[in-house]
Amino acid sequence: MATFGLVTLWVAFGAALVSIATLLIGHAQGPKKGEPLTNIGYLATFAAAGALTISILIMVFAFFREDFTLQYVVENHSTDVSGLSWLYKLSGVWAGREGSFLFWTWLVSVFTAYIAWKRMEITDALSNMGIMISNVVLALFSVGMLFSESNAPFTATRSSWIDPTTHKLIGEAAGFGMNPLLEHWAMTIHPPVLFIGYAGMTIPFAFALAALIVKDGSSTWISIVDRVTVFSWLFLGAGIGLGAIWAYAVLGWGGYWGWDPVESGSLLPWLTGVALVHSMTVYKRRDGFKRWAILLASVTFSLVVLGTFITRSGIVQSAHTFAADPVSYDLFLSMILGAVGISVALLIARWDVFAGNDEFEALTSKEGAYYFNNVIMLVAALLVAYLTISPAVPKALPFGHTSVPPATYDAVARPVGVVYLAILAFCPFLAWRRTDWATVWKRMQIPLAAAAVIFALLIAEWVTTLKPIYDYMITQNTDAGRKFIAAGPAWYYHALAILGFLVASVLIANTVWLFIDGARKRAEARGEGFFAALWSILTKARGQSGGYLAHIGMGIIMIGLVGSAMYVQDETFMVQDKPGTTFKMADYTFAYQGVSESTLPNGNAVSETHLVVTRNGKRVGTMDPGMTVYTNLSTQSKTRLDAKMISNPLRDIFVVFQGGANDNQIVFNVKINPLIWFTWGGFILLLFGTALAVWPRRALREVATSGHQAKAA
Amino acid sequence: MNKRARMRLLGVTAIILIVIGAILFSTRRTAAAYETITQVSKGGLKVGDRVNVGGSVVPGSWNKQSNPMRFTIREESDSAGTGPTLKVVYSGTAPNTFGDGVVAIVTGSLAKGGVVEANQMITKCPSKYESASGAIPVAELGAGKSMVGNSGVQTTGYVKPDSLSSNPAQRFTLSEKADGTGKSVVVKFSGALPDTVKDGAEVVVTGTLQSGTVFDATAVALSQGK
Repeated sequence: MATFGLVTLWVAFGAALVSIATLLIGHAQGPKKGEPLTNIGYLATFAAAGALTISILIMVFAFFREDFTLQYVVENHSTDVSGLSWLYKLSGVWAGREGSFLFWTWLVSVFTAYIAWKRMEITDALSNMGIMISNVVLALFSVGMLFSESNAPFTATRSSWIDPTTHKLIGEAAGFGMNPLLEHWAMTIHPPVLFIGYAGMTIPFAFALAALIVKDGSSTWISIVDRVTVFSWLFLGAGIGLGAIWAYAVLGWGGYWGWDPVESGSLLPWLTGVALVHSMTVYKRRDGFKRWAILLASVTFSLVVLGTFITRSGIVQSAHTFAADPVSYDLFLSMILGAVGISVALLIARWDVFAGNDEFEALTSKEGAYYFNNVIMLVAALLVAYLTISPAVPKALPFGHTSVPPATYDAVARPVGVVYLAILAFCPFLAWRRTDWATVWKRMQIPLAAAAVIFALLIAEWVTTLKPIYDYMITQNTDAGRKFIAAGPAWYYHALAILGFLVASVLIANTVWLFIDGARKRAEARGEGFFAALWSILTKARGQSGGYLAHIGMGIIMIGLVGSAMYVQDETFMVQDKPGTTFKMADYTFAYQGVSESTLPNGNAVSETHLVVTRNGKRVGTMDPGMTVYTNLSTQSKTRLDAKMISNPLRDIFVVFQGGANDNQIVFNVKINPLIWFTWGGFILLLFGTALAVWPRRALREVATSGHQAKAA
Repeated sequence: MNKRARMRLLGVTAIILIVIGAILFSTRRTAAAYETITQVSKGGLKVGDRVNVGGSVVPGSWNKQSNPMRFTIREESDSAGTGPTLKVVYSGTAPNTFGDGVVAIVTGSLAKGGVVEANQMITKCPSKYESASGAIPVAELGAGKSMVGNSGVQTTGYVKPDSLSSNPAQRFTLSEKADGTGKSVVVKFSGALPDTVKDGAEVVVTGTLQSGTVFDATAVALSQGK
């Protein structure tokens, strides 16, 4: 199997090289004479995708058959015995470094083949070069798998690990297997979803570079790749969200975002992706922001690779990182610098070709809003990237050779987030070129009144729940309490929170109003009913409606973030291991009922504590936070904290059993996470809106026509 | 392009960048500089400075049950145990992988007396694998480079079944064959064994041959083969 797998990788690598060579020569020979060679380039692209599809299938079958002749299977097979064990067999494919790299490479080849399929009839110079660049990326990834031992997925297991007669794992290998923390439904889909986003971002980069190569400043390249870009950006976002859910449910620290290098790495391309998607809209509709779009496509691709570079090169210490590997280091570093370097150099050389309709008449215009969207997202991404790699930066530079704590990221992210959402809140009311404030004021009166109502409700929640949590926590001489004090003076802390609520209220009310107002006007003009008109807006102008739904989602996420990231009540209790002992947090009382212990068929020891929760004397429910000790695994973490929560729309009660301590005591960590449902809910709306915008068929034509109208107007 | 609008645009961009810069600058003190134990122990840092420092846990210097937990670390490269050490007071739950010889990377502030008060800790297991190429088989110990008393000797063999113990004076027996037969030496070792060192595992041991039957080890790793 190992040999067969390796052969498929070599075939894919060879096919990618053939494709690059034939497409380049075909391009040099011109469209007529070069056609036969160009056609070979397309066929080779399909061949590469076919070969990699076989490799990934080999890997999938190896996991389902528990084929221990592959070292990667030995190290990442799941020993789970629950009903989901089939899923964990599949997720073994991307549970480790080598497999996830293979999976990612396969996806790049699939995206490339998809675009090649769509452009096969046309084989224009732009598409040929775009597919050529995608194949360069594919070839470089293949180099990573073929020439770097630590990325090679098809390495044969050494003979001392397998018993020759029973084919069972022996010696130290008997304890190898998937990290038990990965055995969770969200973690089985989080990596593939994220990798789809990563892989897809190759395509806009390839075509941006192609547009530079063929000196085509028209919006052709945008119309080829814009849907793939939004699609990839959607998957990036979904991947980040699933990772957050997994962190919340499994890691047992009660949070979902900690600015860990791996998390930050996945956020980077998402941030520049926001700017890229919006620049593409302006490029297509108004013929502007062309250089921005080219630059952002390259930067986004570089940041995708940077995320991988951070985890695989070993330059930054993190709980997730792998050991250093020189091949990965050189390969990924040259891809990061090469992608941006080449496109910037070409962009400067072709500066005038990509001159656009970038007239600014006033700051307060749609152009202005798009511009600041780009600036904020790009600066945020570069800043997070810099702070993430700061441990590897020389000491002389700011933050060089230091590890930056989450508090620093928060200190910047909070005010910037508020400003960013303020732009989102007002941008739909701004006009192109110059905004007439009298008209805006007239249009905004009703939504502002609605915003005042939402804001009043949020302030009520702040007064009754959030502020008391702050006041309580700063009296606690604990780590969690000190973090509140370290985040700055109380007035500043609360001001940011309240401003966050304010911009979120305005954003939500304004954007909802756009739908209501639009539906009303359409209903009047066409004599339809209100809901029929609303339905038409949602289903026909999908691009715009989806975008606005995503904006509303951002507003709702902001409400969730203010509550669940800024006002978390967090306490640790040492409790006598005696049934009947109680402990209190806020107005919740937890009565400890005892602990039960059991052993699963695979040898894992499970302890489960039992708590009865009451609130002001009224029974709320029971909670059984526990702990699983993986006795059969010798590598990686051996304990999983099985946190439990009681989830309400306005707050989660999150309890972690942290095990025993001295003197017959056991330890519980309890958190109250206010408004966390808003974070998840807003996220779902954000994804839904993006999905609506990217939904296939007629949507494309709609956008095209509305683009013409905008131009005509 | 409208010149005034352009100036304003750049002006607002500059303001955004300056404000972000100012916020970052104001939080600079919370960033923890990477320091080595040698640098910290030399002095030169002020009480209250944030540091990020890593080293291997000195065997027996810790008690997981005490709260806060105290332990001592020394440079990872200092296998002889003669270099400077650093005391750490850690408030938090110890990772499951914590133990003797494990590399602990702690983040915290420097307190009086050169103690680091840490609130974050990441542990790294000692490198699991070592290439056996160049290592001398147990059966051939005692001659040439591996004479009694020579330091830095690398030898390879198998962990004799049922010989593993927690006693540093005789941590396990290293034998010529996986079933424990053939020539063997007793290995003295006080650091952390990689989790996967089990009965019959092929290992590479670095240290000094003390006598014909005792090998004083400074590092034990799983063999990667030759």
